[in-house]
Amino acid sequence: MLRFTLERLVGMVVTMALVSVMVFLIMELPPGDYADRYAFRKYSGTGVNVTEADIQAIRVDLGLDKPLVFRYFDWIGGIVLHGDFGQAFAFETSVLKVIGDKIWLTLGILFSTLIVTYMVSIPIGIYAAVRRASVADYGLTVFSYLGLALPNFLLALILLYFANKWFGADIGGLFSADYKDAPWSFAKAWDLFKHLWLPAFVLAWSAVAYQLQTVRATMSDEINKLAVTAARARGVPETKLLIKYPARLAINPVVSTIGFDVNRIFSELPIVAVVLGLTELGELLLRAYLDLDMYVAGAILLLLTFMIVFMNFISDLLLAWLDPRIKLGASS
Amino acid sequence: MDDMLKVENLSIAFRTDEGLIAPVQGVSFSVQKGKTLGLVGESGSGKSISTKALMRLLPGTAILGEDTKMTYRAKNGEIIDIEKLAPNSRKTRHLRGGEIGMIFQEPMASFSPVYTVGNQMMEAIRLHRDMNKKEAREFAIEMLDKVGISNPAQRIDQYAHEMSGGMRQRAMIALTLSAGPQLLIADEPTTALDVTIQAQVLELMSDLQRDLGMGMIFITHDLGVIAQIADEVAVMYLGTIVERGPTRDIIRDPKHPYTQGLLEAIPKLDSLTHRLSPVPGDIPSPHARPTGCPFHTRCTRKIEGVCDVKAPTEVDLGEGHAVACFLHADEGRHVA
Ligand SMILES: Nc1ncnc2c1ncn2[C@@H]1O[C@H](COP(=O)(O)OP(=O)(O)O)[C@@H](O)[C@H]1O
Ligand SMILES: [Mg+2]
Repeated sequence: MLRFTLERLVGMVVTMALVSVMVFLIMELPPGDYADRYAFRKYSGTGVNVTEADIQAIRVDLGLDKPLVFRYFDWIGGIVLHGDFGQAFAFETSVLKVIGDKIWLTLGILFSTLIVTYMVSIPIGIYAAVRRASVADYGLTVFSYLGLALPNFLLALILLYFANKWFGADIGGLFSADYKDAPWSFAKAWDLFKHLWLPAFVLAWSAVAYQLQTVRATMSDEINKLAVTAARARGVPETKLLIKYPARLAINPVVSTIGFDVNRIFSELPIVAVVLGLTELGELLLRAYLDLDMYVAGAILLLLTFMIVFMNFISDLLLAWLDPRIKLGASS
Repeated sequence: MDDMLKVENLSIAFRTDEGLIAPVQGVSFSVQKGKTLGLVGESGSGKSISTKALMRLLPGTAILGEDTKMTYRAKNGEIIDIEKLAPNSRKTRHLRGGEIGMIFQEPMASFSPVYTVGNQMMEAIRLHRDMNKKEAREFAIEMLDKVGISNPAQRIDQYAHEMSGGMRQRAMIALTLSAGPQLLIADEPTTALDVTIQAQVLELMSDLQRDLGMGMIFITHDLGVIAQIADEVAVMYLGTIVERGPTRDIIRDPKHPYTQGLLEAIPKLDSLTHRLSPVPGDIPSPHARPTGCPFHTRCTRKIEGVCDVKAPTEVDLGEGHAVACFLHADEGRHVA
């Protein structure tokens, strides 16, 4: 297992290095740079005539005049060695200050969504397979189709309406007004939790519907395997039997798509965030990109892709642990 | 009487999408301590489901006949009415493995691919024997050694897919026997193995049976294998027993045309050029059971107006040999 873990770890580092180059190139893609934008902002309408030399001076000032390769290593070196993501030009502060809180909130939403997705879809999918062709099974199938058909921003609107109507809560946003600017405390964390369930529920909705069907299908297959009958014929108690033998293999396809789920959550998050009034990274990414505030955009892109690559790594390790044949196949 | 297991009138029906089917109808047999009953018949004759019923392993769609009685005498002398057990009760779980063990045709598929052989053995041992982890592991190694696996202390931590076919079936035997069953059901345990390994596994099984004093039900579609291992034989066709008796009598002097056909299908050593002749004709589907004797559609000696009308009852031929065939009954002889 150690060797397998190291192999995958090296794979992850290589992938991240390539990703960072790509992110940097994407940052460079828009025409012009922040020096132009800065000059335009500062002097437009003031009557001052900005010369090319002035812009060049700004460029030197911001370190944007150096060659591409040099700037790349400067950037990535700062991140890896000092955790320094560079300057957020438009905000005139460091990138970390700008995105700091939003990272944690985005990660909070990501992990609550993943937890809700798997905690709901896995046990229910297993249950539906065990009770195959029962009323409960048919009911769950209908729910799944509904879940897949209903767009989640619509679901967000509906839930927002009912949450307001029944709880009177200002469920939009991630904090109540009282805690919005308060320092972190247990009460603030609890307040966050009370607000997190809604976006997590909305974002998990379609994934639950999908993964539930996956688990149900693989579990139905696994349950009929001879190894399960053989274990039952040895007197293994039914609940333990189901978890130890078929369920362990039935969740393979779910585990192997964790990275895919993370990706999907990141793509759906901005729309849901707008509807629910959340402040997350996606919106900031778009603004930074339009502003040519490239270090902010780069940091966000890098962090989001890193999360996807990292979760893929976790998914590989989990898979190898669930099914040792994978590990054997990889190292032989 | 020495019967450890007595099955009377076992009938099994299944609810299916096409309606009720009844693949086992009124089967009776018994197993004596230390003896082997061979169950023979082509595939689909109901051998596997009949033995699964003994361990209450049939799926939820199965219905046992009302007259079905399965009486088992446990190791501690207690008489258990298997048909009355609740499917997932403690008693049923003790019966499964601890009293009756089962070995299947596919040793590879019988093991879980994600747990080591030792993991599955220790699980069975700890369920049925009062042992801690360490004792269970030592016992498992002992069992692997007993079935002739070399290096058992290393093999115990291997997965089934790291073993050869013959070794896997040996490991399966060790796994099943480690729970300490008194009756072993072997459902075509050698069918998937090649001939030399098949002979070794058969020998191992009869040795172990002798050492442990177990009763055994040995299922096969090959009467040649039965000759090597069984004391008594029951020949099944479409869910009924058509002939039964001591193995010698059945092999030397089969009475039922179906048994005769099965015997002719065994390749003879002295006539290797002789082509294998399986029983001609197709097995009817369980959805379209023939009326009368179930075998009459393929029988070369069928009596018109008798065999296709009435189901034959069992005729006792003495010394435990019995046959369900009109050729040996009064009705048949009158006509013939
Ligand atoms: N789960 C089931 N549902 C419906 N019919 C079944 C089921 N299992 C077995 N059967 C029927 O029982 C018949 C006998 O099966 P089986 O005992 O496996 O035969 P054998 O072991 O003699 O080859 C099969 O032909 C099939 O029609
Ligand atoms: Mg069978």
